[in-house]
Amino acid sequence: MLPPLQLPDAVTVRPQTELTQTPFFPQRRYQCGPAALATALVASGVDITPDILTPEVYLPGRQGSLQLELLAATRRHGRIAYVLTPELPAVLAEVAAGHPVVVLQNLAFNWYPLWHYAVVIGFDLQARELILRSGTHDRITIPFDTFRHTWQRSGNWALLVLAPDQLPATADESRYVKAVAGLERAASLAAARTGYQTAAMHWPDSLAAQIGLANISYLQGDLAAAEYQYRALVARYPQQASLYNNLAQVLFERGRRAEALEMIRRAIEIGGPLIDSYRQTLQQFEAQ
Amino acid sequence: MNLMRSISRPVAHFVICCFAMFSLSMPAAQAGMIGTDTVLSAEQRTADQAQLSQLLARADVTQKLVALGVNPADVQQRIAGLSDDELQTLAAQIDTLPAGGDALGVIVLIFLVLLFTDIMGFTNVFPFVKHGAARR
Repeated sequence: MLPPLQLPDAVTVRPQTELTQTPFFPQRRYQCGPAALATALVASGVDITPDILTPEVYLPGRQGSLQLELLAATRRHGRIAYVLTPELPAVLAEVAAGHPVVVLQNLAFNWYPLWHYAVVIGFDLQARELILRSGTHDRITIPFDTFRHTWQRSGNWALLVLAPDQLPATADESRYVKAVAGLERAASLAAARTGYQTAAMHWPDSLAAQIGLANISYLQGDLAAAEYQYRALVARYPQQASLYNNLAQVLFERGRRAEALEMIRRAIEIGGPLIDSYRQTLQQFEAQ
Repeated sequence: MNLMRSISRPVAHFVICCFAMFSLSMPAAQAGMIGTDTVLSAEQRTADQAQLSQLLARADVTQKLVALGVNPADVQQRIAGLSDDELQTLAAQIDTLPAGGDALGVIVLIFLVLLFTDIMGFTNVFPFVKHGAARR
């Protein structure tokens, strides 16, 4: 019924792995979300407890916590919320790399769901078992296949909570940069900068990571750095209209209206899906 | 008194919506800098459409979170940090998305069914069940 597992080398060289240093917070009624998230956040170096997280992620009317709210809370605490490729080997690879993984299981049936968050902290390839912190159990083992049945029903949802200078073992560029952009939105700017730097170091050709870095400079009010970064980007990617738009905005705020107008007209010339935004930027310049 | 009670909730929702839309209207002026995640997901829909639907989604989610028992003082903080797409998803499916709670509260009627399926390894409700049988 389940396809056989294809395990990466990083997993098979560590057939028995257990992240024993991972903290444990026994959950209270309906509070597995705050408990599991606190476990992962503390493991990533954030000082927090489930009680602090409860008003941030617990939804009383649903007697539980939603996945999206766990993501948002992770970002607000300056950590990258990275949703893994939905496969067991990815979970094992992360655990082998020292990263505990938050998983959503449906412990019962599709027609009678019992949604539950737990944290995978280890595995034993010989015994074909996973080791979890789950609910009120500080250490529970469950067979791979049982886990896969219960996990499949949640769409194999697995969340990695990472300090922004860390990459997932299974890192994918666009997934990772998007996850860092979530930090930018949650106003964790210093963490976002570190995240983009991490991405730029690992993927030197990542345009998205470079745009992220330039935008962080802008958001932190360092217009000189933002101009420098955008000029370098425009020189390297002369066909990316959004780069001209953002450079224009930076120049305008630095009081260089003529240059700003030139840049925004170039953005409109190139066009693309965001052309309405460029036109609005131009209107805004002309109005002032 | 009853009238007061029946009016107060919609009024509260209205006030919250106004607040959400007002607080959003400042940073969301789409002219100016384009955020990193917008560049990343520069899809076909125009910026204007995205802006409007985001505005509505934000107000909608705000109202629904309060209706589901979240303290209104916590709502703004909770939705900060959600991307536009995530807000849309939440607005549309907040009542049906999985809400991870716990493994308790199983009604007695299906206890035996679950016990059996637990032993078979298809479910995992009861931690005391040993899962030997599931190995293929």
